[in-house]
Amino acid sequence: MTAVADSLPLTETHTPPDQAALAATVADAYLAGTPVYPLGGGTSLDYGQAASRPGIGLATTGLDRVIDYPARDMTITVEAGITMQKLSDVLAAERQWLPIEVPAASSATLGGAVATAFSGPRRYGSGTLRDYVIGISAVDGGGMPFKAGGRVVKNVAGYDFCKLLTGSLGTLGVITQLTLKIKPRPAGSAFLACDLPDLPTAERLLAALVNSCTSPAAVELLAGPTWRDNAALGNATAGTVARLAVGLEGMPGEVQWMLGQLASEWRSLGITSSRLLDDERARQLWSDLSEFPASPTAPLVIKANLVPSRTTQFVELALRIDPQASIQAHAGNGIVIVRFAGFEAGDVSRSLIGRLQPAAQAAGGNVVVLSSSLGGLTRQAIWGGATAATEWMAKAKRQFDPKNILNPGRFLYDNL
Amino acid sequence: MISSALLSVVDELQAAVGRENVLAAHAELVVYECDGFVIEKNCPDVVVFPRSTEDVAKIVRICNSADVPFLPRGAGTSLAGGCLPVGGGVLIVLTRMKQILEINLRDRYAVVQPGVVNVWLTNALKGTGYHYAPDPSSQGACTIGGNVATNSGGPHTLKYGVTVNHTLGIEAVMADGTIVQFGGPAEDPTGLDLTGVLVGSEGTLAVVTKVWVRLTRNPEGVRTMLGIFDSAEDATNAISEIIGAGIVPAALEMMDQGILVAIEAAFHFGFPLDAQAILLIEVDGLEAGLDAERDKIIELCLKCQAREVRQARDAAERLLLWKCRKQAFGAVGRLSPSYCTQDGVVPRTKLPHILRCIQAIGQKYDVRIVNVFHAGDGNIHPILLFDERDHAQVERVLAASGEILEECIACGGSVTGEHGIGVEKISFMRKLFNDNDLAAMERMRLAFNPHNRLSPGKMLPTAGACGLEQKHPGRRAAL
Repeated sequence: MTAVADSLPLTETHTPPDQAALAATVADAYLAGTPVYPLGGGTSLDYGQAASRPGIGLATTGLDRVIDYPARDMTITVEAGITMQKLSDVLAAERQWLPIEVPAASSATLGGAVATAFSGPRRYGSGTLRDYVIGISAVDGGGMPFKAGGRVVKNVAGYDFCKLLTGSLGTLGVITQLTLKIKPRPAGSAFLACDLPDLPTAERLLAALVNSCTSPAAVELLAGPTWRDNAALGNATAGTVARLAVGLEGMPGEVQWMLGQLASEWRSLGITSSRLLDDERARQLWSDLSEFPASPTAPLVIKANLVPSRTTQFVELALRIDPQASIQAHAGNGIVIVRFAGFEAGDVSRSLIGRLQPAAQAAGGNVVVLSSSLGGLTRQAIWGGATAATEWMAKAKRQFDPKNILNPGRFLYDNL
Repeated sequence: MISSALLSVVDELQAAVGRENVLAAHAELVVYECDGFVIEKNCPDVVVFPRSTEDVAKIVRICNSADVPFLPRGAGTSLAGGCLPVGGGVLIVLTRMKQILEINLRDRYAVVQPGVVNVWLTNALKGTGYHYAPDPSSQGACTIGGNVATNSGGPHTLKYGVTVNHTLGIEAVMADGTIVQFGGPAEDPTGLDLTGVLVGSEGTLAVVTKVWVRLTRNPEGVRTMLGIFDSAEDATNAISEIIGAGIVPAALEMMDQGILVAIEAAFHFGFPLDAQAILLIEVDGLEAGLDAERDKIIELCLKCQAREVRQARDAAERLLLWKCRKQAFGAVGRLSPSYCTQDGVVPRTKLPHILRCIQAIGQKYDVRIVNVFHAGDGNIHPILLFDERDHAQVERVLAASGEILEECIACGGSVTGEHGIGVEKISFMRKLFNDNDLAAMERMRLAFNPHNRLSPGKMLPTAGACGLEQKHPGRRAAL
């Protein structure tokens, strides 16, 4: 927990052994008005504004039990402190999985992944974490445990707090238990990749994928030094501006068919050379794609959400701002993660607030900061400007955490 | 009798949205006294038809100044009384906001007004290679605004998910009359997922005025099969075997003999009338994998004692099969003058148990029950047949319904998979959730709807609402 203590102003850290003890700790903190910083594996503590008020760390790592796993119902109920790796191992025993990639899976917890709403490349074919959480238990800012949803895959009784808490950054409640909808694990997996000389060509291929006869699991547009000499993809051909890697999963026969089909669709668009990655190289690329957002510190790592057709324009803008930036775009979904290599404090208002955020907002979305070594970033820099919706988020926050003790000052709320 | 306060509301509404968009005469209002849940009825005091988001905002502000309750309504197909004007007030009917505002195939979304009927969007997308996945059985009548309010499902949710999984953003008029956009055409909007909370909030948090929906690529191919079984138990075992084999069908529906007889009389499909249960199984996706999946499903059904497994010969036969399934409820009219459809959910593996319970409960209360349901999701729809003119029968139907739903809860399930709580199931909320859970939900409502003027008496067993036991003046079916 030393890394954790470095990035948060913690006076002490509690690791409750069960959900009741966790609730009691929050209830005490509520009475004392002490801030509570929920901790999972400590892999995303750079996300959000820096905390200023000293408080207690509340680790969920003692809550890592599998409560119920009726594999034939394709659901699993687990405590929130279970690591993504342990969850994956449990599901693998039944040839099932949660098709959501989270970096540092051996320490990242499910609760942390849900609190940060992190979803990786497979979101194109499988959706995001919000599509899989069907039941949730949490402890609110008053120390009161509450739950919503249930253990069945279809359920509309009551408000959907699974959605409310997914992505709430621990500011409405400390998540203690989750029920997930899960899926059968596909037997076949491969990538088809190609190197692209310019971004307009990339957009042409991406637009064509919308009408492809294949059904990709992931559509990844990659640019910058990290990807240029990626071992799984092989060295990029000279003059490559971006690389497109399309993940294909399903029954082995389906994957084989899609590889041939997609290669032929690309040929008809003028792409004469594509690479097939299977087995070990496909596994390696999936892993590289999963880990990219969390790789070693950079001055600034951002995530933009856009309508998909604006992805290449945004990538182009990011490369203009920093030609050495490494970029991973979940291009089919309009999600762009940029890891800047050269970015200084002065660039925050000039480039981030001045250019990147407006470009994303004009494309129907926004830019948020995933992590930064710059320090002292404002709410505007990290979350973008407030909108009419922000005020309604604050209304919910005030109800669930009236004393503002859960992760105070770290999320986008205004006027708490 | 309309009060003077309401009379001035009528005047203001007419001034705001035009006389032709306001109904206040009893003979006109009575049409709106209930929705698809006919057990409980109550007239609104005023019905108003906004034509724009701004109209809705004006209406809400007028209601607030006059301290009059108000609630939204789409096509009124709710089976749980979601559109029942509990305590009267102003009913905001959104069926004149019926434009498909944008279809964007490159970015795979559409923007629609709340009054767009579900199937209109599907029709508008014909030939594009894309569709809107949620397909409730009432899709020919129900609106997308209503689908959002109840987080509607349908037969194809097994593979494709329910309304919330296809909703990218919502524009809404909040309870105080402000217009707010949550989410939009891009995924992962910044901050809390309030779009996800508004979906399924049954009109208690805001009035939805615009929806950004995700469009889904049409599958390349489809195989539709009909498994014919001599016992319901064998059919439910087959469901478990199919899912257990790692196959996620696009749809997996079950119909029992009782409903088959009615469907056959209505549509003449050629169902074997002596079969005890039929599974309608559909797999879709790449042609490359479909025959293998079909063969595996046939093998598993036969292993579970299926008498026969047929395959739809062509697109026309497939469409007829789905027509039979989706219009099954209409065919129930051949069996009895009235019926009540329940909407319980159990873990898939508990289906054999719950079907046995339903049968026993039907015998105990002397109520005939037939079944047609989303078996793959564990979402049961027992249909209780009765005559609403007979008070004693109505009482027995209500008691039998209650017992079935209690058994769903005991199985670890829920009392509603897609119809919503409405007024019908409010009394079950305390059985599904404890005081803390309900207090958290109450605070959510308080955050967005602090005066409880928007859709009072719905969904939560607080603020005076207590479901069918409540004693407010209203016209009830034989009760």
